[in-house]
Amino acid sequence: MTTTEEFANEIRAVKEAVPDADETSIAEEFARYRDDFLIPPKEALRSVLKKFQTEAGLEVTAPASTGRPAGKTVERFSELGADDTNVTIEVEVVTYTPRMQMVRGEERQIAFGWIEDNPWQEGGERTRWDFKDWGGQAESLSPGSVVRLEGVTVNEWNGKRSININQGSRIAVLRAGGRAVVIAPSEPVSISRLQTMDGFATVVARVISATPRTVDKRDGSGTLDMVKGRLADDTGTIGFACFGTFDHPVGTLLKIESAAIRRFRDNPELNIGERTKVEVYHDGAFASLEELEESSVVAIEGLRDGAVDVTAVVQLTSWGSRTFTGQDGVEKTVWGGDAVDPTGTCRLTAWTELPLDESSIPVAVRLSNVRVRAWQGTPDLTVDRVEQVTVLDSIPWEEIDPTSHAVSVGFSELMGGGSRSGVTSEATVVSVAAGSGIIHRCPECRKAMRDGACRDHGPQAGVEDLRLRIILDDGLANGALILGRDPAEAFLGQTMAEVLKATESDGGEAFLVDLRTRMIGRRYQFAGRAIIDGQGALIMADSFSVAETNPVEEAGEVRKRWGVFA
Amino acid sequence: MITPQRNRRQTAIRLFAREYYESSLPDGGAGEFDPRFIVTKLGARVNRMIVAGVIERLELRETERGPMYSGAVRDPTGLHMWSVGSFKPELHAEMEELLARFDKGDRFLMTCIGKASHYTNDDGSMFCRMQMEDYAIIDRDVYACWLVETADHTMRRIEALGKAQAAEDTSAEALRDAEVPEDLIDGLGLALNHYGEWDAEGYKVGVLQALNAAEGRVTSFEEHEAAESQTVAETAAETSPEPAESTAEPANTADVEAVVLEVITGNAGEDGIDYDTIMKYCAKKGLTDEASIEDAIDCLRDDKCEIMEPRFGWFKPM
Repeated sequence: MTTTEEFANEIRAVKEAVPDADETSIAEEFARYRDDFLIPPKEALRSVLKKFQTEAGLEVTAPASTGRPAGKTVERFSELGADDTNVTIEVEVVTYTPRMQMVRGEERQIAFGWIEDNPWQEGGERTRWDFKDWGGQAESLSPGSVVRLEGVTVNEWNGKRSININQGSRIAVLRAGGRAVVIAPSEPVSISRLQTMDGFATVVARVISATPRTVDKRDGSGTLDMVKGRLADDTGTIGFACFGTFDHPVGTLLKIESAAIRRFRDNPELNIGERTKVEVYHDGAFASLEELEESSVVAIEGLRDGAVDVTAVVQLTSWGSRTFTGQDGVEKTVWGGDAVDPTGTCRLTAWTELPLDESSIPVAVRLSNVRVRAWQGTPDLTVDRVEQVTVLDSIPWEEIDPTSHAVSVGFSELMGGGSRSGVTSEATVVSVAAGSGIIHRCPECRKAMRDGACRDHGPQAGVEDLRLRIILDDGLANGALILGRDPAEAFLGQTMAEVLKATESDGGEAFLVDLRTRMIGRRYQFAGRAIIDGQGALIMADSFSVAETNPVEEAGEVRKRWGVFA
Repeated sequence: MITPQRNRRQTAIRLFAREYYESSLPDGGAGEFDPRFIVTKLGARVNRMIVAGVIERLELRETERGPMYSGAVRDPTGLHMWSVGSFKPELHAEMEELLARFDKGDRFLMTCIGKASHYTNDDGSMFCRMQMEDYAIIDRDVYACWLVETADHTMRRIEALGKAQAAEDTSAEALRDAEVPEDLIDGLGLALNHYGEWDAEGYKVGVLQALNAAEGRVTSFEEHEAAESQTVAETAAETSPEPAESTAEPANTADVEAVVLEVITGNAGEDGIDYDTIMKYCAKKGLTDEASIEDAIDCLRDDKCEIMEPRFGWFKPM
């Protein structure tokens, strides 16, 4: 069948509107829409028709708008429909029950209750509806008050209608009510959920360590006794700090109400303060101390800057020592090496000599109660005392070759976790930052200069360097990727000298346009390390290349994942 | 998770045209630096988005604030409207080049990244579009990858909507207990309260069309529906010896079409007749189901070619 026969119906339709149009060109256009743009002829009809109309000089005018209903003012609930939005109505508040919940990572108060219409008529017939307050309007909605609700929405759920007071809704108090509203206490949450929260929380957990400490007061007025330790449940562990008496031995199961969540670096910590209620809790089914201790061994992917009391098992891939003169003029030695486990790579630093030397490599060690520091995204397990380390007889996994050890991680998982090194992942390029290409670095501090000046050292003759800054995004998370000179040269297939030459004439404008054209909307893969902090994610890439894609295969996976088959 | 920083970059949501243009719920933007979102019926909170499709429209408009480009790309579910504002002069030279190609009749696939925006008409109706930040001309393979990825993300949201609809209420706690993914809890809470009860089946059809297209099997909505109803009819025929009921539906559809065609031919002026007026006339004739009238209009326009749409929302007989 020729294309003109295949698209006979569509050609007829186009020719009705544009009689002079050429049949073969029409057919070619439909074939192009189907084969190149993946749009079936029926849906391409309007586009193709418009194209031929325009070509024939039959002007097509700009789009006009169709409408949707505007706001609605009513006196009675009965006048409202299920889809009404932007409603204005005067009501009396009957009850107002607040409830705390997490909204966008923040603890926020929402509330529900009853409202009645027809608030002004003494003894008149009233209808009572439920409402929900998303707008934090507790002050205006005290029970007994009469208010005008503006910009509220009708919600229908299982045939029952209610009013939603949204964040954009306005409330005018027409007659003040009586009672004030109290904040409701929150329900216990798991430790894994606690780690993603801010504000106050209630938790049921077992004490797995507790050490009394004395700290200097910040204002220098003396010392303060406190207890630091760790709590665990079967979803994870979290550190706690208690200022005041804490006489619960390791192993005790506690219910801790209204403790504040504070953060040190990437680590949430539970603060047991004056307003916190701590009581011994009884639950025979709760995980035992032994179970919790065993499951609290942290893999490298789970290491977070600032963590303390960490238990981990790692394979050492290098070991050495260096001496330096400390601030006090005393010569000191520090030992260190690289470590891996099946989930990533990290550093190990010891401030004391361990029963290890270079000839022991490869070897696995078990570390207990060590602390974690991170340097540019690479976590560093820090050992202070020799008893924190146990050298294991064998490596608990198949020996890992550090030169080829890059753990493949889903992009949003990587962006949502802590800093990690030795990882590989892929995502779509959504932006190539303007500072990509040749940059000038301050000869003193190596910082990138702007307009011929360093932020700290003023105007300088900068040293040229090559750097690409790319934003990656997988639809669930995003992060900036930095390609330094070597990986950038490898990716571009150009040396820095060649890039310099190419960007001389126009300051790199064409170079950037070319990069954007090549990269935007395409998926790329990288290997390197990810530095994750409160500001977002930064990926320092060692390699960068177009990801291999196979749309047909991936479409099959999507069908399988969600059970969608035609 | 640490409280998000004010200047933290918003992730680009993958979504098909229909999910976006059917949205009517703005959110956020209370403070000067607070990001603004459009919440879709599937609970996506859209600030930044990445869309793709074949170029359908591109024009230059002179405004009080200088020139701006207005365009649209078509994906399997409809049109993504975007604009390049006067405050984005760095893209204007490239847009000028694209406009020249477009005006010459060249058509091509594009991917566009931008920020969600909306405007409200005098009558209170809301329209969603996109302020373009960046774009690229892409080939069929890159487009197919976007289709698959967007199908994946859309199904993820449809699945989450199902869980959210089964939740005890629309509070974050209830949605979390119903295993709604963390990133969709806020959006779905807002969406459920704003859009009420509805059926996501239409969005699933869009997903299927996109997957088919990515696999190189290009089918239209109607063809898909036809195949579907055929299977249903076949199953019905197998289970019941009298498939009497299934014949009632097409007859009814034909009736609606007849009425709509009568309304359009009887009332179209020079410019045609606008959508709302068609609805009013249909209501007078006892037709109130907007969805079936819209289906009839689509069918008359695209399948039977009895009517045309000289400009968006205006119809006249062929």
